[in-house]
Amino acid sequence: MTSAFSLSAGFQRVAFAAVAGLMAVGAQAQSLPAGYPADYQALIDAAKKEGVVTVYATTDSKAAAPLIKDFESLYGIKIEYNDINSTELYNRLIAESAAGTGTADVSWSSAPDLQVKLAADGLALAYASPEIPFLPKWAVMENMAYGTTYEPMAIIYNKSQVPAEDVPQTHKDLAKLLSTKAAAYKGKITAYDPERSGVGFLMMNRDVKADPASWDLFKAMGAADIKVYTSAGAMIEKVGSGEHSIAYNIFASYGLLSIKKNPNLVMVWPKDYTLIATRVAFIPSKAKHPAAGKLFLDYLLSKRGQSIIAKGELFSIRGDVEGKETAKAVDDLLGDKARPIPVSRELLETLEQSKRLEFLNQWQAAIKK
Amino acid sequence: MSSAVAGTSARRVVISITALFVLAPILLITYQSFLTAPFFDPKAQLSLWAYEFVFNEPDFWRALGTTAMLAVGMTAISVPLGALLAFLMTRTDMPGRGGFEPLLLVPIFLSPIVLAFGYVVTIGPVGFITVWWKQYFGNPFWDIYSFTSLVVIAGLTHAPHVYLYASAALRSLPGDLEEAARVTGAKPGRVAMDVSLPMITPALLFSGVLILFLGFEVFGLPLILGDPQGLLVLSTYLYKLTNKLGVPSYQLMAVVVMVIIAVALPLVFVQRLLLRTAQRFIAVRGKGSRTNLVALRAWRWPAFLLIAGWFAGTVMLPMTGLVLRSFVSSWGLGINVLDVLTLDNYIELFDDSEVVSAIVNSVGIATIGGALSIGCYTMIALAQHRWPSAWVRFADYIVMLPRAMPGIVAGLAIFWVFLFTKPLAPLRTTLLAVWVAYTLVWLAYGLRLVQSALLQVAPELEEAARVTGAGLGRAMRDVTIPLIKHGMLAAWLLIMLIFVREYSTAVYLLGPGTEVIGSLVVSRWGSGAVDIVTCLSCINVALISLGLMVTLRLGVKLHG
Repeated sequence: MTSAFSLSAGFQRVAFAAVAGLMAVGAQAQSLPAGYPADYQALIDAAKKEGVVTVYATTDSKAAAPLIKDFESLYGIKIEYNDINSTELYNRLIAESAAGTGTADVSWSSAPDLQVKLAADGLALAYASPEIPFLPKWAVMENMAYGTTYEPMAIIYNKSQVPAEDVPQTHKDLAKLLSTKAAAYKGKITAYDPERSGVGFLMMNRDVKADPASWDLFKAMGAADIKVYTSAGAMIEKVGSGEHSIAYNIFASYGLLSIKKNPNLVMVWPKDYTLIATRVAFIPSKAKHPAAGKLFLDYLLSKRGQSIIAKGELFSIRGDVEGKETAKAVDDLLGDKARPIPVSRELLETLEQSKRLEFLNQWQAAIKK
Repeated sequence: MSSAVAGTSARRVVISITALFVLAPILLITYQSFLTAPFFDPKAQLSLWAYEFVFNEPDFWRALGTTAMLAVGMTAISVPLGALLAFLMTRTDMPGRGGFEPLLLVPIFLSPIVLAFGYVVTIGPVGFITVWWKQYFGNPFWDIYSFTSLVVIAGLTHAPHVYLYASAALRSLPGDLEEAARVTGAKPGRVAMDVSLPMITPALLFSGVLILFLGFEVFGLPLILGDPQGLLVLSTYLYKLTNKLGVPSYQLMAVVVMVIIAVALPLVFVQRLLLRTAQRFIAVRGKGSRTNLVALRAWRWPAFLLIAGWFAGTVMLPMTGLVLRSFVSSWGLGINVLDVLTLDNYIELFDDSEVVSAIVNSVGIATIGGALSIGCYTMIALAQHRWPSAWVRFADYIVMLPRAMPGIVAGLAIFWVFLFTKPLAPLRTTLLAVWVAYTLVWLAYGLRLVQSALLQVAPELEEAARVTGAGLGRAMRDVTIPLIKHGMLAAWLLIMLIFVREYSTAVYLLGPGTEVIGSLVVSRWGSGAVDIVTCLSCINVALISLGLMVTLRLGVKLHG
């Protein structure tokens, strides 16, 4: 049984390589993107020889489908896309790197702190993408890890439950609303639980960095009997249904999707400051197909890839991509109030156990009534 | 003589292989619990640090207490309820029995996350029944997010597990004893309590212990219903533990598993003690007998109402919520359902190429994989059958162990075994690995089902075969197995249903080409695609109910 199985898998690989080879011949004629080094063709050839690129990602395979399709038709290299959550991604990557069996060729996650940790622990390949000049400085960590999106962290509210005069435009507004109308908003405000959700922790930590007065906001949330969750899906659904009225720190990309379906939902990007989250990608040092991994990473950061990201409502990070869901459009609206979470060793601090526990204790004290 | 020796060594081989598969992940986890870092990290050192850390966490003790209460509470509800359902469905002339059966099993194959969400849509704070109730009666008397609700819902939704065990045992019970009781004037309730149910004590005990076990690892229900109040059980506590330290700390998770195992082993001991007199329950004797149904007479409709009531609360309530949610774009306060009705969710669902392959994979692994698993379980059960030895006692203890790991930990441990065992590595991303993982985690479950069927086979039938010269293998093949075929069929059905929604065990083995419905539900739920999740679940229920109906039709013919 065992041998039959590996035989058939082996056969598949051979067949696939043959097909990929044929496709490669057909696609030979394409020219290099502008600004790429002349020897880039060698990388493309090496990647085509590898024939496949394995991606571990937290982005829904459905949201990523247009990217996958475009990349495959551009290079004739197949993408094996694994849609997993950020903890699973981390667990898989460290175990596979240690086992020496090879791991993914690109790791692409919405948990920037875990990605930075993996890179800092030596699990990322150093590779200077030719797209670096088009990326903001804070989005590149030591030529290893790259920010790929520019997603505002939004407040989402249900307009049938929140009268126009109550709508918070800033963090201060929200704190004021919750403390002056604590009874009316009792149990109506919701956010990620920083104790149970890594994203929740990181965002609240960055809130305090952006504005120390955030502790007052958290106190007001506690006074209004905040309900904390572990998933954005549950929060958005329950704000939509009116069980809660306001959700705090929701990725704008999720928000856009839900607004389209439920006209009662409205998204606010706070005007005092708005945190900007980015999905971080790197090539694992133990990648099985490093050339193909590099090619996909460059594609993800390229104008072509980023235009698709913008269309897919994931918010392009490049300043030269046009459209509504782009860094340019977000900055036009926010001016200098955008507070990107940097892809840098600075994030390691939030993973330090003692600092984490201290922050969580403070959080507990703040929301206590 | 030589055939007996061959038989014994065959038994030893089967039990050894089972032990190998079970103990590999468990020993790995045990080892991990005494380390300071992941076992594959060169920096890892032996230490008791993880134990100290976990035992000093107030949250851990709180979660352990809540979990214990939840497990006991749900067992106390589901065992009597499941036994009663089984008695009414298999031994009486209650009206509507045939139609109920497939529907009765819905809670088993529905992802608990989805089931819990269905309740939120109907009787949550702004659920449509709650809103309607408020209009007429004022504030509702229930709070879906309370601990009591969690216990009741867990109890009600686990009753079908007990039902499957109990009904399989009841089916093979001859009707003469019940008839005797009925003739001498006992009421149906009395017949059930004093005759039928005592006869299936082994099945009830098995299922009780198993439900208790399941109680220790329930995840989906507390995740959804306990989320807003921050109610922690051990499996959701693992999340918190991971996040507290920033990165997943396997040694801490491992300690939690060690605690569950420490609770589990004495349970198995007690169970074995209670079953020492299993001989008493032999019902399938060498003489055939026809089964007659107990006439309920005046109790027919009350019995019907009881089942209908359970069904309404456990299946209809959440299912209505799900179906409704799958046909609207939004719901809740200030939304008129008629304004938001849509088919878009379903259209979008089939745009998703993964959905189709997930459905195909799930059905394949459940039917074919399930049958193969039952084959394995039967071999293990036969290896233990009528062989009073230390080997069998050992096997009794270890089969429970995989289920003592909460799904997320089991998944990680099995992933490690596949990853770090070189000969297994190529299989890691195939459906075969997924099947091994499923078979392992549900080992106790399927095995007990086959075993309780075996317990009812009287030794004289096998002895007759042996006396006339058949070897052990021959006696088993020609006598034992044909006698337990109903038990095996029921076991297959159960395993099929469980495999359809299972996923957490194989979460690290899943990849492109091996996705299953369970994994899709959880991953889409995480990113907020609630509409996709509900549509997928509705299609799932429809498909499986259909499949069940067909299977049961065939099953009925096999009985006939």
